[in-house]
Amino acid sequence: MQSFPAPLIRIVSGLRFRHEAGLMLLLAIELIVFGFFGRRFLTADNGVNIIRHSVEIGMLALVMLPVILTGGIDLSVGSLLGLCAVLFGKLWRDVGVDWPMAAVGSVVVGLIGGAMNAFLITRLRLPPLIVTLSTYSLFRGLAEAITQGTDAFTGFPESFLFVGTGAWGGLPAQAGLLLACAVGIAMLIHQTTWGRSIRAIGFSAEGAEYAGLPVRRRVASAYCLAGAIAGLAALTYTARFGTAKADAGTGYELAAITAVVLGGASIFGGRGSVAGTVLGVAVLGVLGNGLTRLPATLSTASEITGIVTGLLLLASLALPRLAAMAGPSGTAGTEKHKRPKST
Amino acid sequence: MTPPLLQLIGIKKAFGAVTALNGVNFELRPGEVHALLGGNGAGKSTLIKVITGAHPPDAGTVAVGGYPISRLTPAIARSLGIACIYQQPALFPDLTVTENIGLRLESTSPFRRVRHRERRRLAGSLLRQVGAGFSGETGVHDLSMPQQQLVEIACAIGAGAKILIMDEPTASLTQPEQELLFGVVDNLRRNGSGIIYISHRLEEIFRIADRVTVLRDGESVVTRDLTRTGSAEGTAIGQGFDEADLIHWMVGRNLERTPVAIPPAGAPDRLIVHGLGCEDSGVHNITFTIRAGEIVGLTGLVGAGRTELARILFGLTPADTGEIRLDGIPVTISSPEEAIALGIGYLPEDRRRHGIILDLSVAQNVSMSVHSRIFPRGWLRPNAEQTLAEHYIHRLGIKTAGSGADANTLSGGNQQKVAMARWLATNPRVLILDEPTQGVDVGAKSEIHQHIRRLVDEGLAVLLISSELAEILALSHRIGVMRSGTLTALFDGQPSAAQLMRAALGNLEPGDPPC
Amino acid sequence: MVSAVLAILWLGLAVFAPDFFSPQPLLSRLTSSAPKLLVACGIALVILTRNIDISVGSLYAVASVAAGHASHFAPTPAVIVAVAILTGLGGGAINGFLVATLRLPSIVVTLATMVTWRECLRLGQQGVFINLPDNTQWFSLSMVRGQWTVVLTALVVLTFLAWAQRNLAAGRHLHAVGSDPEAARLAGISPGRTTFAAFVLCGTLTGLAAALNLAQSPQIDPNTGRLLELEAVAAAVVAGFAVSGGRGRLFALLPATLLMISISPALTYLGAKPYWDKAVHGVIILAAVTADGLRRPKQQSRPPVT
Repeated sequence: MQSFPAPLIRIVSGLRFRHEAGLMLLLAIELIVFGFFGRRFLTADNGVNIIRHSVEIGMLALVMLPVILTGGIDLSVGSLLGLCAVLFGKLWRDVGVDWPMAAVGSVVVGLIGGAMNAFLITRLRLPPLIVTLSTYSLFRGLAEAITQGTDAFTGFPESFLFVGTGAWGGLPAQAGLLLACAVGIAMLIHQTTWGRSIRAIGFSAEGAEYAGLPVRRRVASAYCLAGAIAGLAALTYTARFGTAKADAGTGYELAAITAVVLGGASIFGGRGSVAGTVLGVAVLGVLGNGLTRLPATLSTASEITGIVTGLLLLASLALPRLAAMAGPSGTAGTEKHKRPKST
Repeated sequence: MTPPLLQLIGIKKAFGAVTALNGVNFELRPGEVHALLGGNGAGKSTLIKVITGAHPPDAGTVAVGGYPISRLTPAIARSLGIACIYQQPALFPDLTVTENIGLRLESTSPFRRVRHRERRRLAGSLLRQVGAGFSGETGVHDLSMPQQQLVEIACAIGAGAKILIMDEPTASLTQPEQELLFGVVDNLRRNGSGIIYISHRLEEIFRIADRVTVLRDGESVVTRDLTRTGSAEGTAIGQGFDEADLIHWMVGRNLERTPVAIPPAGAPDRLIVHGLGCEDSGVHNITFTIRAGEIVGLTGLVGAGRTELARILFGLTPADTGEIRLDGIPVTISSPEEAIALGIGYLPEDRRRHGIILDLSVAQNVSMSVHSRIFPRGWLRPNAEQTLAEHYIHRLGIKTAGSGADANTLSGGNQQKVAMARWLATNPRVLILDEPTQGVDVGAKSEIHQHIRRLVDEGLAVLLISSELAEILALSHRIGVMRSGTLTALFDGQPSAAQLMRAALGNLEPGDPPC
Repeated sequence: MVSAVLAILWLGLAVFAPDFFSPQPLLSRLTSSAPKLLVACGIALVILTRNIDISVGSLYAVASVAAGHASHFAPTPAVIVAVAILTGLGGGAINGFLVATLRLPSIVVTLATMVTWRECLRLGQQGVFINLPDNTQWFSLSMVRGQWTVVLTALVVLTFLAWAQRNLAAGRHLHAVGSDPEAARLAGISPGRTTFAAFVLCGTLTGLAAALNLAQSPQIDPNTGRLLELEAVAAAVVAGFAVSGGRGRLFALLPATLLMISISPALTYLGAKPYWDKAVHGVIILAAVTADGLRRPKQQSRPPVT
């Protein structure tokens, strides 16, 4: 009923802009701190290193973004990455397919996994959280069952390993893939009617349906895209480590969600940008790497990264809320009309 | 003399720089129905929140039963017997009626035993008092909107409410359901309760109220008495004022009355529907025709299947029997996309949930159903979108800071115009309007009516669904009445309100046209 | 429905694998699943309020490790139980504060606390097992008595909570808040406080579950409780709790949990290898939630997402 007072709108839209500026600041602080205290942190080699390590999480975050924009969530991408990696290894070693064909197979498997999520969510109308929580378990379980829990695929040809370890003009080979993903998703989300519909669905799925937008097809396509890119990420992951094991990509779904939420996307859907997500990935990637360069945290860097990631995620959610609660009355209820049913 | 139940003196309330209430005086006596009138943004909602203790006023006095209350909180308001029946009943859909009543009336201390038997007895007696025809064991999600409102009123009675606020209680009710509600209100009045009655429907004010106060721009403009002596049964006469005066006080200007248009002669049949039905939505055997340039009104009780019929025609719940012809060509409509491609538009009943997307801009809302036309190959073109939106902002007189402003910054009436603009942008052949002026203030309502008239003059075929008989009668060339999922009567020309009512209730008399 | 499936499964086991029902192994199996029942109870309470808590697995491990360290200072069963419960309560309160007070989405909050707790544990413990004092095993009782204590504790807690859900105002408040938080507020029930209480209760039950688990083993694996949240959510969904809040009966968790723990042995008897467990769990949740989705009457305007 009550229309929003104008000053409030300025504050809210200002916050959104400030969010990305805040991330840049955070990134700058990281670079300064690690550059000052870290050993061989600000080197070209280490830059390549950071990018290499961020590629899979970056790709998963980029495709998690449209899923979250629709108001959904996909907890299964990390497990799907593992399943794709294992099946890629199986196809190449046990079935004897050429690696490029096996790579296509990996993406197709990812697409099928994503399509399965999409089917359960859009056709049977089940909540995304529960669907992807069960496929999270299912995909990882299948990967473990295929490898009997212990089997690992190794000895891939040099031409394949180049994808994960090679370099083009000083840049890691897989960076091209990440860049292509980022540009592609950015165009999709910000420049096309697909992105517009995804956003509209996130704000109000019913409203979008009444406007004649193909809601189910759009939502389904977001999950399928997430699956296919998980299959692609499985390749760079396998190439980077040189082995394909059932535990590939464990916890990556969390890192991807963290990057997206850290990047300013609303978990209720509708709001979020590729620029924010990319910055979110960068902040996390630099953090994880930087901690291994600090003498004090050298041996425990991975655990600290996990803790800091969790805390960052909480902070990125809580700080805007705290700021809003401290602000003028009524601000905290900005998103009240969008009560999330299950996420 | 008994003190008034409630007295508000010089109430002021501002949100930041925006003044919502600027010196409101209001009084409610025992045994009176006091109507509160005002356009959207006049401050009614804020005033209710002040009375229920949700918003503390910045200045002014609230006195209950003659005693000034210094710090009114929702809990204190409740304990003083103040209850509010909201437009959207605030019940728990997953629980039964009895549980809902219990949760409302019993203490909220968490470690109390629930006495199931007592609760059932209390709920049963309250439901009888409001004349509810359903059992307390019914799940609330199975109840219709008016039934849910009865539950709300039962809760208020059970809480011993002396001051009852009804916020547009009839917005989703049809005439007979309204009569039932008015009966309950009469009962409450006789028992000495005071009722603050908020409505956009002026005829209701004359039907039910003893006094009326008009709010405009956060101030109480006038308070006048109505009297029942010498008037026709069931209505009251204003003491030295009539409907036109009320409108004048509300909007500060008079609205011109447009004569009813003459049905187009010799126009081609635009939409022909024959034997249409859909099992899931309980609609069956619908047959009617709309000619180009014609408005066919559609009325009936809530639950008669009007919105369901609209949803079938728009492809949201596709038909499983019957035939639809558009300009003579048989069509199947299995999704809104197909409906839009065929030139059918649907302005839904629930504006905020379905009509527009509040978080998107005006321009984005307007262009939403014409993506493929203005964005060839799927690439967004902001300039084309802005031009389109500005065209309709100008044409429909939408008051907005700009085409880039979020839709939720607009008032209700302007939001509804944005929703209409979206459908006009699709160049529809048939437009279905479902309660197009519900919850819209009087000024915007008459503007929307004029736009509808202009559109049919240009050759559009309109199916107008409305629970407000005055609106149906003022706009329609022909009027259909639905009952229990089918079309029971179709009137050419101007039926009387009584005829329409009889058709809706299913007791046609000789002389009424069958379908 | 769940009870029917359970009956069929048990009938099958009785015919093809009667060993399943021999008293001692059965008691052991029930004992080891008692903690899962309690955690499922906790998650179910949270689900009732339209939220979710996937941090219980990590919290379970934290409570176990905290109790393990405490037992070295005061080696009595009472201390272990108290420390485990208090740790759980604290963890639940943190989630509750973030979700109920700051109104943050529970899925992301508990995802974050899940990782934070787990990584804190890895950092502090570096995967080292903790040995428990001998006298704290089985609460210093004989093994069989200890086992009965564990099973009965879980059953008594479940029965009490199921009774309270129906007969205490607080139980109905959980339903009210999950059904419609706005309506709850208008009815004078604070959604914030109720949700907070649900998270605290969930944490407390997780702590108690950890204590019941500690009584069973001589040492603590700091990696314990992995996938516990998944099993608990599965049990709740199988028991008919709607993830949209407001619906579900706690007592139904008993057949659901029994069903879940009977499936693995059934699979083993059928010759399936244990590394299929995780995949099977996923399939079970999917099957349960699909059944729920198909059973639910068609609602006219339910959006296909969220």
